[in-house]
Amino acid sequence: MTDQVIFDRGYRTYDGPRAGPSGARKAVFKEGLRRVLGLGRKARKKIFPWSLITIAVIAAAVFVGIHWAIGDIAESVGEGVPSYGGLFDFYSAISLLFIAFAAPQLLIPDRTKGVLSVYFSRPLTVDGYLSSKVAAFAALIGAFYIVPQLVLHIGLSLISDGGFIPYLTDNLDILWKVPLTTLAFVAIHGALVFPLSAVINRTGIAAAAFLGVLTAGSGIAARVAEASFPGARWVSLLALDQHPRIIRDHFFGDTVDYPAEIAGFEVWMSVVVIAVLVLVAVVFVRQRYRRLA
Amino acid sequence: MGQGNVVEINGLTHDYGEVVALSNLDLQIPSGITGLVGANGAGKTTMLRLLLGLLHPTAGQISVLGHDPQTEPLAVRARIGYMPEIDCLPKDQTAADFVAYTAQLAGIPPREAKRRSSETLFLVGLEEERFRYLGDFSTGMQQRVKLAQAIVHDPDLVLLDEPASGLDPEGRVQMLQLIRRLGDFDIDVILSSHVLTDIEQTCNWVVMLDGGDLLRNGPLEAFDELGTVVVEVIDNVEGFAAILSSQGYGTSVDGRRLVVGPGGHEIEEAVVKAAAATSAGLVRMVRGSSSLEDLFLQKEEGS
Repeated sequence: MTDQVIFDRGYRTYDGPRAGPSGARKAVFKEGLRRVLGLGRKARKKIFPWSLITIAVIAAAVFVGIHWAIGDIAESVGEGVPSYGGLFDFYSAISLLFIAFAAPQLLIPDRTKGVLSVYFSRPLTVDGYLSSKVAAFAALIGAFYIVPQLVLHIGLSLISDGGFIPYLTDNLDILWKVPLTTLAFVAIHGALVFPLSAVINRTGIAAAAFLGVLTAGSGIAARVAEASFPGARWVSLLALDQHPRIIRDHFFGDTVDYPAEIAGFEVWMSVVVIAVLVLVAVVFVRQRYRRLA
Repeated sequence: MGQGNVVEINGLTHDYGEVVALSNLDLQIPSGITGLVGANGAGKTTMLRLLLGLLHPTAGQISVLGHDPQTEPLAVRARIGYMPEIDCLPKDQTAADFVAYTAQLAGIPPREAKRRSSETLFLVGLEEERFRYLGDFSTGMQQRVKLAQAIVHDPDLVLLDEPASGLDPEGRVQMLQLIRRLGDFDIDVILSSHVLTDIEQTCNWVVMLDGGDLLRNGPLEAFDELGTVVVEVIDNVEGFAAILSSQGYGTSVDGRRLVVGPGGHEIEEAVVKAAAATSAGLVRMVRGSSSLEDLFLQKEEGS
């Protein structure tokens, strides 16, 4: 029989490197990704985000299969099978659900559970905290848009008659068109959902409010844009969800005419609307969190 | 413990519009465990937030660990741990993940943060429970996690806001023992509480606030009124006092009235024996301020 002794390990000091504010920002960014994806959480927290991610990727793979079954990519696109531009539209509902889920998860629990008091007792500023949250949002939503496009791109390259490498080199423009279109989607949705998540204390209500604002804006724009009263055309700009689609159409070719286009606005107006919304959102959310810190 | 003052405050005033939370405070807090005492609304939490640089004073200067929290808030916060009074735990995370995360927020690399998280949770008595979700924790366990996140990154100074709040008597004793141990680890502590017995049992320095004013600032043992006995005799006051002094009790004489102590309950016995020996004629013998609480109430009434 051996003698067993319980040691009190006490407390170990730490003399190693400290990353400072950049380390804090990185930690907030990583924790934001983990929270939205349900990593380190109970299994039920993973179901919703991973279901949406799986659906988005499988949809892209299915379209590759349809293109392959038809045999000719140009012909299948002509028959309405979505390619790069169309894929953005096809899973717009799924992506909106993902955005409506992700942003409230990034902001609301920290605030309502009092965790902000811990964050701001560390070497982390309000701007550092918010920029890390925005970076996590952009990384998640960007990946949500880009990964299916990547699956489609690689799939189409593999089934292309001309061969893998020639298809990639013939379609190099995809490498900037897809990210820029994605940026437009991320920017306008982020500019809407972040302020809502900054003031609403329930994740479900914030998600519903986000989807409601988009739906209401599009509905009002569609009904009023062609009316004859003075300034009616400006109402078309309220169809906020359609601005990134107008930018997408600019890159990938027109699909339909959106209210703003019908009202005579060019693509640059959509860029301006997105930029203004982002600016307003940044100022609003920053002010809100400065009061909370 | 380190030398010198961890906090120096000069002419500090802070108001929320018309409400003055702190009024023209001058004080120094040395190394060690300091109790910040005051009723609700006395300005304790405001002071802690000023020390963290989360609030800017209306007037005056603050120095924390040699840094000005107004101009160098990140430098101050890098060396401070803070345990808020409010609930501050994400219920969907495990204790180990959360404490490791808060270590990373202080700049500790992820692998080291995980290791320190385990060690710190062991220290606060949660080693077995560290992989459980915080939502499943009792109030006492949650308070321990809050303490763990405050010390996981090896801070020089820890600010504890009502750390024993909501705990049952056993949990309170354990929490105070943990706080006392921090002093052994070279961590200075400022402990805010309105439960004065907690302060008496834990701290070696006391700052008393009342309505934003400083009532008292000094070492606990300098609160002479604690544990004293007030005695009134008829005759031979000097002889009576001399006997008690010869036995090592402090005595202050005011006419026929003496304040004896501080000390334990053996003082009463010594007083009775001295009165018998000197035929002083004992008229009255009552305990003075038996606790910090009595003293605080007396000060409040007097202010």
